[in-house]
This record gives sequence, C-alpha cells and structure tokens, in this order.
Amino acid sequence: MNRLKELLRRLLYLGRRENLDGILDQEAEFHMECRVEELQHTGLARDKALAQARREFGPQARMREESRSAWQIRWLEDLISDSRYAFRALRRSPGFALAAILSLALGIGANTTIFSLTMEFLFSVPSARQPENLASIRIAGNSHSRMPIYEFVRDTHAFEGLAGSFEEHEVNWRHGENTSQLGVYWVTDNYFEVVGVPVAMGRAIQPGDRNVVVLNYNFWQSSLAGDPAVVGRAMILDGQPYTVIGILPRDHRTLLGFGFAPALYVPVHDQNAFVAFVARLPEGMNRQAAFTKLKVIGQELDRVFPDRDFHWTQDIQVDAVAGLDRLKSVNMIPFTAFFGLLMVVVGLVLIIACANVASLLLARASSRQQELGIRLAIGAGRGRLVRQLLAESLLLAVLGTLSGLLLNFWLTTLISRIQLPLPMPFRLHIAPDWRLLAYSAAVALASALFCGLLPALKATRSDLNAALKRQEFKDGRRLWSMRNALVTAQLAISTLLLAAGLLFVQNLSRSTSMNPGFDVDHTLWAHMRLVPAKYPTNEKTQTLVNTALDSLRALPGVEAASIAHEVPLNGQETDGTSVRIDGGEPVHVQYKSNNVGPDYFRAMAIPILDGHEFREADRAGSPAVVILNENLAHLLFNNASPVGHTIRYPHGETVTIVGVAKNSKYFTLGEENALAMYTPFAQGPESENLNFMIRAAQFPQGLVKIINRALGALDQSAAIETKPMRGALVLALLPSRAGAAILGSIGMLGLLLASIGLYGVLAYTISRRIREIGLRMALGASPRTVLWMVFRDSFLLVAAGISIGLGIAMFATQPLAMFLVPGLSPTDPWTFLSVIALLAAVAVAATVGPALRALRVDPMVALRYE
Amino acid sequence: MPTSNPPPNSPELLPGTLYLLVLRTLARGPLHGYAIARRIKEHSDDTLQIEDGSLYPALNRMLVKGWLAAEWGISENNRKARFYRLTPLGRKQLEMEAKEFDKLIQAIQLVMKTV
Repeated sequence: MNRLKELLRRLLYLGRRENLDGILDQEAEFHMECRVEELQHTGLARDKALAQARREFGPQARMREESRSAWQIRWLEDLISDSRYAFRALRRSPGFALAAILSLALGIGANTTIFSLTMEFLFSVPSARQPENLASIRIAGNSHSRMPIYEFVRDTHAFEGLAGSFEEHEVNWRHGENTSQLGVYWVTDNYFEVVGVPVAMGRAIQPGDRNVVVLNYNFWQSSLAGDPAVVGRAMILDGQPYTVIGILPRDHRTLLGFGFAPALYVPVHDQNAFVAFVARLPEGMNRQAAFTKLKVIGQELDRVFPDRDFHWTQDIQVDAVAGLDRLKSVNMIPFTAFFGLLMVVVGLVLIIACANVASLLLARASSRQQELGIRLAIGAGRGRLVRQLLAESLLLAVLGTLSGLLLNFWLTTLISRIQLPLPMPFRLHIAPDWRLLAYSAAVALASALFCGLLPALKATRSDLNAALKRQEFKDGRRLWSMRNALVTAQLAISTLLLAAGLLFVQNLSRSTSMNPGFDVDHTLWAHMRLVPAKYPTNEKTQTLVNTALDSLRALPGVEAASIAHEVPLNGQETDGTSVRIDGGEPVHVQYKSNNVGPDYFRAMAIPILDGHEFREADRAGSPAVVILNENLAHLLFNNASPVGHTIRYPHGETVTIVGVAKNSKYFTLGEENALAMYTPFAQGPESENLNFMIRAAQFPQGLVKIINRALGALDQSAAIETKPMRGALVLALLPSRAGAAILGSIGMLGLLLASIGLYGVLAYTISRRIREIGLRMALGASPRTVLWMVFRDSFLLVAAGISIGLGIAMFATQPLAMFLVPGLSPTDPWTFLSVIALLAAVAVAATVGPALRALRVDPMVALRYE
Repeated sequence: MPTSNPPPNSPELLPGTLYLLVLRTLARGPLHGYAIARRIKEHSDDTLQIEDGSLYPALNRMLVKGWLAAEWGISENNRKARFYRLTPLGRKQLEMEAKEFDKLIQAIQLVMKTV
C-alpha cells in the first residue's frame, strides 16, 4: 500500500518537475541567507560569511541532482524517452510504420471482434441483481413445470425468492389496421422483484399486477417510435387491453442470454401455463444445498401431486444463470466449441500479422546494423538497446491495437445491428468493456514481444566488427534465413486457415444445393396466429382452418393448399416411443412427428410411394391413421408394404398405416436417415399457430400479398406472415452461412496478410541482391535467368509453407467434422486442391512485383549501388 | 537505504541515521530546512557535522516515502520558507527507527565492553 502511494507521489512529481527545481533553488537560497545573517552577527564580513555559508552547504548542483533523483521513476522515464525515440524512428519511415500498423490492426481487429462476440455469447451477464445468487432449477427433469407446481414450491419459502417464466409465449398486437405477432417473456408477477431486473422508465411488474406490460427498448424504439408517452397507455394484445407500465434499458439482457430479446414482459396468471423456475438463493446457500432442499420439496410434491410416470425427486438440477458455471451444462458444448475454434483461428491470424511485423523489423534491424554497432561500440548496454528496440515494437503494437479497436467498434456495431433470420426475437449488445480493454492490452503486449523480441535480440547480438565494416552480406544472410522461416510459417498457417475457411464455404454450397426432399421453389408458407381466447374449442379452430383452406384454394395461381402443425426445417420435434406392429413385440423408435392436412404431400411435392395421402374424411373422431416415411417403413416392415397394417402405442391406441412418403429433411439439412411419422392435422393436438403450406402455379412471391389479404379477411385479430418456402430455409442454412462467412473471411484475411509478408520478404531480398543481380547481368545473365532466380526463391518458400500447412491441416481440421454436412470430409480433396491453387496464385502475384524490379536493374547503377 | 555523503573530518553517520535525526528533530513540531540543520548541529554539540546541502536530498526522499509533508510558511526572520512536518506515517517510522537504533547501540556497546 505504501509502495503504491509512493509511486503515486512520484507520478505526481513527473508533472511538475520544473516546480521542484524552483523549490530547491528557493530553499538553498533561504538556507544560505539565514546562515550568512547568523555569521554576520558573529562579526564576519558579508563576503566572508557568504563564502563560508557556501562551503558549509556544499555543491548546490549535487543537492539539486540528488533531490531530483529521489523523486524519479527510472524505468518510467526511460520508457518515455524510449517511446519518444521510437516515435521519431517510425516517423522517419512512414511506409514501414503504416505496413506494420495495418497488419497489426487487421490481426488485432479480427481477434478482439471475435473476443467481443465470444464474451457476449458465452459470458454476458444477465440484467439482474447479483446474478451469482440466482439459480435455474429443473425438477423431475422438466425444463418447465405447471403453475400449481410452481406455486407449491414457491410457497415452501425454501429460497429467498422463486420466480417462474415462460420465454416463448406469443401474442397478437392489434395496432391501427394491422395485427402482428410479438414475442413475450411470460413471467410470474414476482419475477422482476426476485431477479432484480432494472427498468429504465416507468416501473417494474409487481406482485398482483394483471394485464400490464413492460417493453423491450428496441421494440419501443422501432415499433413505438421511442415515444415516452406510451407509459400508461394501453396496447391491445390478443384482443385485451394491457397497460404499458415500464420500459427496459437499452442494454437489457434476458436471463436466457444469447441475445434472446422478446418484445414484451407480461405477467402470467394462466394456471395451465408452464414456467421455468429461477430461485434467488439466500446468503450462504450454495447450489448443492439448494439441491438438497429441493429433494425434500420433491417428496412433498410426490405426496400432493402424485404422478404415475415419474417422481418429483428425480432429475433435479440446479444450474448457474451466468458465468463459467453456465457453460458446463451439456447443451452449451457446440457453442463453446465453435467459439473456442474461432478464438484459435483468429489467434492464428494474429500470429501471421505479428510475423509480418517481425519480418519488417528484422529488415529494419539489418539496415540499422551499423548504427547499432556503433552504439554498442561506444558502450551502450545491450539490454538498453534491446529495450529501445522493443519500445519501437511496443509503440507499433499500441498503435496497431488502437486501430484494431476502431475496427472492432465498427464491426461489433455492425454485428449488433444484424437482424438474424431467427424465429425468435434476437438482439446482441456488444459494447466495449473492461474485459475487452484488458484483453486488448494483453494482446498488444504479447504482440509487441512476439514481433519485437527476436529481431531486437538478433540485431544487438551482431558481431561488432562485421557491423562496423558494413559486412552486410554475411549478416544479412543470417537474418534473411530467419525471415524465410517466418514467411514459411505464415504461409503454413494461412494454408491451415484457408483450408478451414474453404471447408465451410464448401459446406455452405453443399447445404444450399442439398435437396430438402420437398419443393421450395413453388411453395409458400403462411403463418397465422389466432388469439386463443377467440377459439376456445377445437371445432371452432377446425372450422376456421377449413374456411381458410377453401379460400386459399380458390385463389388464382394456387395449385394446392394444406396445413401442417410443424414446418419442416423450422424446428420440428422428435418423439420417442415403443410401438407394436400388428400386436407384435414392442420396438422402440425415435422419429420426427408432424400433423398435416389433406393435400399436404401434393402441396409440398413430396411423392407418396405407397398407399395414399390423408383425406378430408380423416378428421377428429374418425379412425386414426398415419403415414410413415420410407426410412421408418423400411425399419418396421423391411421391404414389405406397410399399408393396411397397424401400429399400437403403449397407452393402447391403435392406428392404421395408410401410406408411405418419400424421405425428406425434417429438422436439419444435414440429418441422415431420419425416421418420420405423419398424422392427420384434424386428429392432432390443438394449437393457436396455424401453418398453411401453399403450392403456387408459378412465381410464389407474387402470391404473398394476396394470401395475406385472403387470410386477414377471415379474422382481423389474427397475426399473419407469408413467405416463399425458399426464404423459410434461411434458418436451416444459418449455421452453415455463419460458419462460411466468418471462417471464410478470416481465412481470406490470413491469406492477405501472408501474401503481404511474402511480397515483403521477396522485395527485400531483391533489394539486398541488387548488386549481385547487376553483376550477373553485366556478366551476361539473361532476363530469364534473373526471373528464374526470383521465382525459385518464391517457389521454395511457398512450397515449404504449403506442404507444412497441409500436413498440419490434415489433422487439425478433423474436429471440424461436427460442423459439416454429412458427405463432406474435413480432408476434402477439392478443398485442399483449391487451397493450393489459391495460395499459388497469390504467391505468383506477390512475386511479380519484386521480379519486375529485379529485371529493371541497370547493371551500371547497381554496381555503384550504396 | 541510501545515505548522504558525509563531509570530511566529522564522525561518519551510521546508515539511515540522518533520517532518524530529522524525524527526531521534527517530532516537536514543523521546522524549515535551515532550522533542522541547526538543531541537529546544536543538539549534537556540533560533533555531528553534516554538510548542509545533503540535508535536502534526504528531506525529499522522506517526502517521497510519505514520512514528511512540506508547506510554505513565514520564517522567524519574516522570510518565505518551506516548513517540514511529520506525518502519522513518519511518526510511526520514528518510533520504529528509534527502537532499532537503541538496539544497535546496545549491541555495539556490548561488543565494545567485552572485547
């Protein structure tokens, strides 16, 4: 502590050095005057007195020097003078400085941007009071439990507070003539209190509140023009008036994280709702203790709410809502892996950038050999010189980092604004914070060391004699071979990066061209969300569905129209159960299930291979029927026709198989051999979300408005959104697109940096060999020989770099398999061939400039060179 | 601990003793540089001759350490002078150093008596 204060006092002194000198002078003068007066009192003459006072005082210069040094911070002042020196040195060679700073800016910009993204996705802290005391709770393995269960657990008062939420609720918002569907975070009325969610304007939801709503900042801005007067006004949600009571701050992050940002928070009172539990643990209770408490509560639940199928005490989970602990949960693994991969990749890019700068510094060091030699000769310490050279790379790194941070701000603002085509509201808040600053400082320091240490050590180790005698060639050779090693490493790393990048590009092109098994060129998807209160019975919904289908089919240009519970590739569920074929032994199967209306297969252009489609007659109450996909039919019946056979479920229901549909994709484009079972829409569960699948005669885009109008006319309170099926594939392609865009562009960045490095090394070698080339030309070497000389150098470097890089890539790309579509191997030969071709092309382009320069060497000038 | 250069023909100060002397001198109240020098001379019956100029680097080092604080004031002969006073930290330091000094002296005396 005292040390720190001491440093602080010294630092303060730095700013008023002049002041101290003045003080010392005044003190010395005062001291002398007092002494002279005293001596004069004893009868001494003034000049004698003055002389004696001076003698007694000793040399004033030394007093001043020693006093000043008491205040000095040696290393800091050395650093300042070194930086000043470095700054002047850089100003003298702006080309070098610019190239180095640009390299570092690109490398650090990419690096910190991925860092910011990783922090936001994996480590962002939810907007909550003391989130470390919050725990998300699952009981009986359920992510969500019924309201009565929630209320029971809440009323045990086992925790400081227990709130519940359902994050995927939706409502229809009627505004003016339009109705749109909004994402709602449905929360128990104590949620804001328990979690401690800050509100920017108005107030939070409080216990007892009904029909109130708190708005998300972005929704408020984009849909309500950011009007502060909306607080207190009503919004019509699902036909009911809700009062706006508050607005969330701009940087609000939900407990769920990942940028998930529904437009509204609304209190839930529906006893049929399911909510996820979040508990505030009392001071001193850890998650293990909470688990033990829940075990006890589970036993009471078993008594009050007994269930045939499970016990409430089983599969209890207490998880952290933020920080490192959250990442330990299993479903986070692909995310963590992907961001880990990205961090490694941008780390490699930074290494390439640093290698560029190191290589430039080596070149500079060799041209400053004489200067350094002289300074060593007249007694400069090597450590001091190394420090001075390091100051130069530190300055470069700091400038590079600052420019890199500018790039970071620009990129992250861009990314924050991106509206991802996700079915849920999504908003990232990437803002610079202390973590980014600390990380950038560390990156700057590391890259300064990485760029500068080797060149500085090399440069100051040189033989004094040789340096003074300008024996550059021998020394130059040694530095040159190190530059070669650097460029080879750069090329090897960019080979690796390109291989990864191109793999993802290849992955994208494969998944784009992958046949989903249904037609996407002539189909449309019209989504209609009904206000549940207006359709209390299944019959009422079914009547609307039938009317809607009739009016859709009547539209000109519509060939077929049907309805489905789920839209393929947009979040289809997997069911698992055991089935008995014709009363035989039970077989356990896991399959994608969907409820589809008559004409579904015709509308989607999925061929029925055996039997027939569902018919109008397959309605609620009529005999239960199913259609299997080829894979499931094959699994259960081998090659025999399943049509007419029956399936019995564990709970006794028996259904008849009426058809077999051709295989298609259900959940992801990458899935293989998925099993699927279809049941008639009318025999399936009720839902307020209706998905109409419509087949257009031609151009589907032209039908969007017509369909919206036709469906809108049926119920004004319904929210309707229609889009061509091709657009609906966006979600399925999102991972491949994001992967290809990010890794592809990082690979290209790596290539760009490495080619700058290659160009630099070649240009430098040529400039060093101008005399040699001139001599050769004077002795009769043809331009071809000279060209060959340059290209051979380049070829050797590139060949070495590529082969090392490919060797590493063979192994290093293996883990990427988890992100690739089936059939695309991480060691895909086409990818690797393209990498070689691309690198070779870039290498040739980087060689042309230096080669031309070598050709233009005038022997007469060259011989007089230097 | 750095020491100031002692002038010739005066008993050499033990390392760090000058600090102790200054701290001791200031224990009774703030003084300016000249007064400190005079007090030290007077109280040691002029045996401890320190070069006047070397007092100031020592004062500055003690300012850095936070043992002393300095401010401008008016001297007894009506001149502007810089007055030094002990900080609480300096008072603690004085106690500590005085104790250690006593121990050192006792040890030296013990050695002198026995040899």
